Amino acid sequence: MAEAIQKKLQLGLEKYQQMQKDVSKSMSARQKLEAQVTENNIVKEELDLLDTQNTVYKLIGPVLVKQDLEEAKATVAKRLEYINGEIQRYEMLLKDMEKKSEQHREVLSSLQQEYQRAQGRAVGKV
Amino acid sequence: MAERNKRNVEAPQGVGRLRVEHEKVVKGCEDQIQHWKNVKGDYEVLEDRLKTLPDKVSYDIMVPFGPLAFMPGKLVHTNEITVLLGDNWFAKCSAKQAQMLVEHRKKHVQSALDDLHKTKKNFEARVGFTEDLEKLSDGKGGYVDIREELEGVVCKGKRRVSLKPHSKPKTEAIVKMEEEEEEEMLNAEGSKRGVLSEEELWARLDELEAQEQQEEELDRRFDSADTNGNDDTTSSSSEEEKDEEGDRPAERSKGGTTMPLNGSQVDRTALPPRDGGKEEQEDDEEDDGLPTIHFSHTVEPKKVRINTGKNTTLKFSEMKEQKQQAKRKKNNGTSNGHSHHGLHITSPTDIYRLFVDVKNGEPVPRKSILKSRSRENSVCSDTSESSAADFEERRTLGRSPSHDDNTYSDTGSAITEEDAPTGELPVPTSRFQAFSGTVVEKEPIPLSVPQLTIAPPALPTIPERKLEEVVPEAPQEAPQEAPKRVSKFKAARLQHKGP
Repeated sequence: MAEAIQKKLQLGLEKYQQMQKDVSKSMSARQKLEAQVTENNIVKEELDLLDTQNTVYKLIGPVLVKQDLEEAKATVAKRLEYINGEIQRYEMLLKDMEKKSEQHREVLSSLQQEYQRAQGRAVGKV
Repeated sequence: MAERNKRNVEAPQGVGRLRVEHEKVVKGCEDQIQHWKNVKGDYEVLEDRLKTLPDKVSYDIMVPFGPLAFMPGKLVHTNEITVLLGDNWFAKCSAKQAQMLVEHRKKHVQSALDDLHKTKKNFEARVGFTEDLEKLSDGKGGYVDIREELEGVVCKGKRRVSLKPHSKPKTEAIVKMEEEEEEEMLNAEGSKRGVLSEEELWARLDELEAQEQQEEELDRRFDSADTNGNDDTTSSSSEEEKDEEGDRPAERSKGGTTMPLNGSQVDRTALPPRDGGKEEQEDDEEDDGLPTIHFSHTVEPKKVRINTGKNTTLKFSEMKEQKQQAKRKKNNGTSNGHSHHGLHITSPTDIYRLFVDVKNGEPVPRKSILKSRSRENSVCSDTSESSAADFEERRTLGRSPSHDDNTYSDTGSAITEEDAPTGELPVPTSRFQAFSGTVVEKEPIPLSVPQLTIAPPALPTIPERKLEEVVPEAPQEAPQEAPKRVSKFKAARLQHKGP
């Protein structure tokens, strides 16, 4: 009886650990996105400081490709929007994962209690 | 109990870990700050270079060839700068435009630095707090819990309690009359029923009153700075009042005139005169591991009947006597000209303190010893009940601390050079009790301003007064008073009394 519960406990623990890893992964992805947002904001501001006379280049692989200033500004703005959308998505994901992990934690704790009770009973029997 | 011990053991560990985590954050902040400072430095160097670059059309330089070799070459197009804007975007700009961009980036760096500084400060503060918490939970580190148990009620409450029962007799008298009328009108049974219903009403009223009083005491408890010491006392006093009120309905059927008596009894039981002087029990180890000082107030002055020629009674304060004796042993020089049954008067304040009239069983200090009816300030007489704001009281309140300062000085009969510090006005009051009255600010004038200017107009009787310097002795022993000072006034009066 106790062994069965122990096995269940192990399984639950592993599952919980997995969930925690997922959560931390999502967190780090979100942090990266945050950094990108900041960077793109700076780029946007600096582009605003320049005028059409300067040539703007985009680095694609090893090549610097000439770009129009206006085009560049538009591209950067679009990228910003995209990144913000990604952040929102990741946040939702994170919330769900956290909820799930909480539920799992409760299940685990109840399992643990059962296990301890079983242990106590086993000790008592012996 | 075992659980609590376990919790007690865990708590400091948890606090320790919390502190460690806080310190980690602080360290992280410091690292970040260092990093951003480096970046800022780099940008500044870059700015300088950008300023000088367009000075020449071309420069002769050694061009790095791979990691190990250099080659002589020329730096041309000195005004064309390709700037990395971030995220794989480049822009060709002039040196001046590049400078602008650099300025813009420096702003960002600066804001990041500021944020980091703020966070660092916050967390440093938190570390401090957790350290304090640690010390607190350890039970050492100089933290002492001071608890004062309020056995009864402070003056405000006392007045309220005394008022309440008085408000009853009127309504009660009316009800009594109604009862009588009912009795007359109805037959025996009916009247009994009527009386009972009235009694029920009164019982209900009493319950509500008890509730109200409990609430008042709760409020008072929250208002005062005390911690938990009141729980027992308030509940006990409220219980007492409940008992009293339980008795009342029974008594009311006897007669309404018994009410005022009951009210006064409630008064007395609710406010047991707190006998004994200030008690300081050092280092009571309580359950939570914190040394506790139990503090209680006031002194019940002993009544010493002394015939002062005006048929008045002198109240003799025990505690003051002890203090004065302790001081006298130390000083050994004060004028012991008059020893009224062991009363030592060395300053006018002593007189104010000691010569107190007795009225209605309560000590009523005198305004002046020349008058038979007077009020003394609450500070001197150790009775905080009389802290009703009377202007005279305030005046003497303001004056007497200064006189208290003057009193306790190392003087013989001679005048010593003493200067009265100004900032210590409220300090002497703490000797006796928590200061609950008002402080009059005008009083420091005679003490702080060079007294030469004040002396002539103020007291024509002491023209030869000199400046007296006070030697403030900050670390005082317990029985001793606050810094000893002798003002010219006091010295003058001494002189006048003595010789």
